[in-house]
Amino acid sequence: MKVLSDFSNIFKRYDLDLEVTGKAREVSKDPIFQEIAKFVVDGDDEGIVKPMEKALKSKSPMDVINNALIAGMNEVSRMWDEGIYFLPQVILSADAMQVGISLAEKAMGKAMDRKGKVVTHTAEGDIHDIGQIIANALLNANGWEVINLGADCPVSTVVSACKEHKPCMVTGTALMTTTMTAFPKIAHELKAAGLEIPFICGGGAVCEEYVTSYDLGVWGKEDSQAPGMAADAMAGESWEAMRAKWNG
Amino acid sequence: MNSKERVMAVIHHQKPDRMPCFGANSTVTYDQMEKVQAFWPEGHEKGETMAKQALAAYTVVGFDAVRVPFCQTFEAEALGCTLKSGGTEGITGIQHPPTPYKLDDIPVFPADFLSRGRIPELLKAVRILKKELGDEAAIVAGIIGPFTIAGSILDTVPLLKATFKAPHKIRPFLDLGEKAGTALAKALIDAGADIICCEDMTASPELIAPKTYGEYELEYQKKQFDAISIPKILHICGNVDAIVEWMGQTGADILSLEPKANAKLAREKCGPDIILLGGVDTATTLYMKDAETVRKGCEESIADGIQILAPGCAIAPGTPLENLLAMVEVAKSHQG
Repeated sequence: MKVLSDFSNIFKRYDLDLEVTGKAREVSKDPIFQEIAKFVVDGDDEGIVKPMEKALKSKSPMDVINNALIAGMNEVSRMWDEGIYFLPQVILSADAMQVGISLAEKAMGKAMDRKGKVVTHTAEGDIHDIGQIIANALLNANGWEVINLGADCPVSTVVSACKEHKPCMVTGTALMTTTMTAFPKIAHELKAAGLEIPFICGGGAVCEEYVTSYDLGVWGKEDSQAPGMAADAMAGESWEAMRAKWNG
Repeated sequence: MNSKERVMAVIHHQKPDRMPCFGANSTVTYDQMEKVQAFWPEGHEKGETMAKQALAAYTVVGFDAVRVPFCQTFEAEALGCTLKSGGTEGITGIQHPPTPYKLDDIPVFPADFLSRGRIPELLKAVRILKKELGDEAAIVAGIIGPFTIAGSILDTVPLLKATFKAPHKIRPFLDLGEKAGTALAKALIDAGADIICCEDMTASPELIAPKTYGEYELEYQKKQFDAISIPKILHICGNVDAIVEWMGQTGADILSLEPKANAKLAREKCGPDIILLGGVDTATTLYMKDAETVRKGCEESIADGIQILAPGCAIAPGTPLENLLAMVEVAKSHQG
């Protein structure tokens, strides 16, 4: 997240003021898609229903998902990366996007085709699962099936889930210095089980040096990298190759 | 000067014999546990063990203050949260679900708050520390900030959403959080605490929008600090540059800053009187690097205006003892 150096706008209600300040960029030239994207950007999970229902009368559900819902979430992700949006807004936007996706899937009569599976979790003992909310939302939005094990997740649960679901990638977030030591344990057990999948670790408590000190570990610097990493993992990139690519 | 005298000298804007050094957050490490033969989970639960673990910061590490407790769950437990043990290696955490309250509930501050959960053991630990230390080293007792307590009792994600969707609904919970922390602080003072450290992690710009701090939390933090008669440290994790000016308005005597935050900016925004405490990143430098890198990090922070050398946040329990000793060496080399 970029650090703000100009504080003159910190009192602004960006969520109400988007057109005026120009902080949120137009996401689609198509007014139907743009309207829906705006509800994602505004984090309005109730208001999004009517425009979704209207759009699904004239547009294909996958077009709405790709050009309005995912596009809106990508714009939110950009604003988060640039320090314009804060975590509560990202959470609300992810909720609005999910409401939209559910309505689109209902119209399709089936769930979105999923590219592959990713298991996500927050480290055992860690109080919040907010560290992975953005990653989960972006993975979901970009077509990955997210098996979200949630917060305070024991090592054994992560390993079992990986054995059961055989994901292309597993992620872990740790916000507290007391919880990050679970990650090398997970990596060790996955390797012992023959599951040498990339283990993307991120969050306030971990750094590149720590994550790259154990096999399977690839440092996740930004949540927005998650879909790109999943694509690499799905394409068969090894954890070593991914570490070289994403961690330098 | 003894340890307590030098800490108090800095707080009262007098010249210390040399720079003080201590941890404002948890200081317990496995190395220290071995040395004093006091372990977790008992250190989170029993007053005597808690005091033994805290005392090691002075007797083993050479910090100028000791600090209890080591987790962020005492008020939350007393307000109805379900706890999860950290076992022998970790700190106590809070389990969600269940949450004691939902956003539309009207929270109630229990009349017997100070008798609930492990609060009596925490107070006992402070009394033991006072008996052991007298006025040799300062006793820092920890409370949790109103916003973070609200997050504990509601669960953090519903609280974060409410800050944008229904901010008026969070006030009763900030009020409850303030009452709880203030009541605990007063009891800790009676038990012998010299300094109160308020940890308010959930109020960080890494979690809430900066404006939420200014418009909501500031008022409750000010109210709380007004009611606390001894020196106060305010600790918020992460890069707090966007809210540091407000932190300076809470009435805190000392701001505890991680190296991610800009100490020079804090000085500029908060004026010449506030004390700045901090120095080295706990998750990376202190935990993983060597003593020489620790020393370098400390010197950089001191050059940026840090007046009391401290770990930037709670010390990772696996931190090597020699890195903590290196911090004390740096502080000793900065004569008053």
